[in-house]
Amino acid sequence: MDSEGTIASHPEIEADSCKGCGRCVEACPRKCLEISHALNNAGIRSVAYKGEGCVGCGICFYNCPEPYAIKVVKA
Amino acid sequence: MKTIEQKGMYREFPRCGKPHARTTHYCPGCGHGIVNKLVAEACAELGLQDRTIFVDPVGCGVFTYYYWDAAHISAAHGRASAAATGVARARPGAVTIAYQGDGDLGAIGFNNAFQAASRGERFGCIFINNSLYGMTGGQMAPTTLEGETTTTTPYGRDPALTGHPLHVCEVFNQLQAPFYIARVSVADTKRIMQAKAAIRKVFELQRDGKGYAMLEILAPCPTNFRMDAQKAARFCIDEMEREFPLGVFRDRSAQAGGEESAAAPAQGSALAVRPVPRFNSCAELFSASAGAQAADGAPERGAGMARLSKELRFKFAGYGGQGILSLGLCVAEAARLENLHTLWFPSYGPEQRGGSASCSVVVSPQRIGAPSVEHPDVLVCMNQPSYERFAADVKPGGLVIVDETVPVAKEPPEGVRLRRVPAIAMAEEFGVPKAANTMMLAALKVCKATGLADASLEEALCASFKKKPQLIEKNREIFHRAAKALENRNA
Repeated sequence: MDSEGTIASHPEIEADSCKGCGRCVEACPRKCLEISHALNNAGIRSVAYKGEGCVGCGICFYNCPEPYAIKVVKA
Repeated sequence: MKTIEQKGMYREFPRCGKPHARTTHYCPGCGHGIVNKLVAEACAELGLQDRTIFVDPVGCGVFTYYYWDAAHISAAHGRASAAATGVARARPGAVTIAYQGDGDLGAIGFNNAFQAASRGERFGCIFINNSLYGMTGGQMAPTTLEGETTTTTPYGRDPALTGHPLHVCEVFNQLQAPFYIARVSVADTKRIMQAKAAIRKVFELQRDGKGYAMLEILAPCPTNFRMDAQKAARFCIDEMEREFPLGVFRDRSAQAGGEESAAAPAQGSALAVRPVPRFNSCAELFSASAGAQAADGAPERGAGMARLSKELRFKFAGYGGQGILSLGLCVAEAARLENLHTLWFPSYGPEQRGGSASCSVVVSPQRIGAPSVEHPDVLVCMNQPSYERFAADVKPGGLVIVDETVPVAKEPPEGVRLRRVPAIAMAEEFGVPKAANTMMLAALKVCKATGLADASLEEALCASFKKKPQLIEKNREIFHRAAKALENRNA
């Protein structure tokens, strides 16, 4: 959220759906995704948002082979 | 505010049988997954879900009925275009889409697809070309590139022996009837967006009752390319596109449809089949020990160095890619080296990586009856779902070894010992993250859980790297280091 209280664009990641292939990390034009150190339910290192930089373009969503691993909220 | 999210799929995929019911069965980085999302999205955005009948034949795409929220018919291998012909004729108002792979459409089903296109049947064919047979373990397909290494072309495809790659779009472009023929790719963002538009077009043509559409999609198969997702995508762009150029070969969508179609209603039929999963690496692992097994003049079983006095039953479980099956095979091999009877029995899903995998191993001085292990003496778990699934079944007096990353919410049954081992962490600490299974083997040794000699375990470990001799010493070393570290922890 910014100073005016509006929600900034960001990806919402469902860690347990992620298989850690890294396609979104590579595709993100703002390089704001990374493979995290946390293991998900299946024991896979899932992707995580770095916390800033997202412009809500949705490129990570379309590069992801999983339907529910990433959704993008565009401000 | 706008949300970019999946449309046209079920909210959960319970039939897929994953512990987390919202994941697909596809391997990490699979091109199918990307196409599945685009197809579901196009179907939903055009409001066609209640009119669409998908025909899914055999291949990695066979389980699309888990995901796409529309009607489905499973067809026999290669027969999607034949089944879709029946569906399209019996239900002229429906949007019929066949979803085929290159093994399915290009090889066994080529004539089905070709003749359906030639007749101008009113359905759309989405054809996934990943240049090999994915589900069965990466064998050569008609679309395999010249020189491309597959499990059945280990020295690269030789055109003198196995012919040249089949250009499906170019061949179909010789036919009169098709309305739309195009080739796209899902290797990167730009190409995915082109694929998205093309898939939408296939649906629109069927919605408007135009006629046959063929959309070939180049898709990466990281598992069988033996590459990571990024390199596999690069392979699609650098290698596959050279052989299979992208583009629209024909687009007659502006033309009125129907006149060239054989519209006589016929009885639609489709046989529901279940695929036979195969697992390529098992075959390789088996062949590593086949030479020794073939020596029939070997000493009598039960003789020699065997020390084990009673049957022991093991279960190894985790997710595919953790080396669970090889770990089980190591124990079986160690028993074989001691001239014991042994059985190794794997269990896994159709995907080769990322799914849950387990194997049962029985080691016995006597002949072994049932190969499946329902109540193991020793259970080794590398991830949480496998612990939750199998821990309650361990025999009293048994042992459960779990990785430290697995949260143990529920203790194992009474009388069962629990050992938590930092296998994954230790493998990373040693700089060989893939060797977590070797750590587990060391844990089995330290716990004296196998009843087998330490030397046999070590020899079996080395035998499992027979095909990668450069890894033998490295693994032997980390096996010893891990055993020492675990012993020190105990002390």
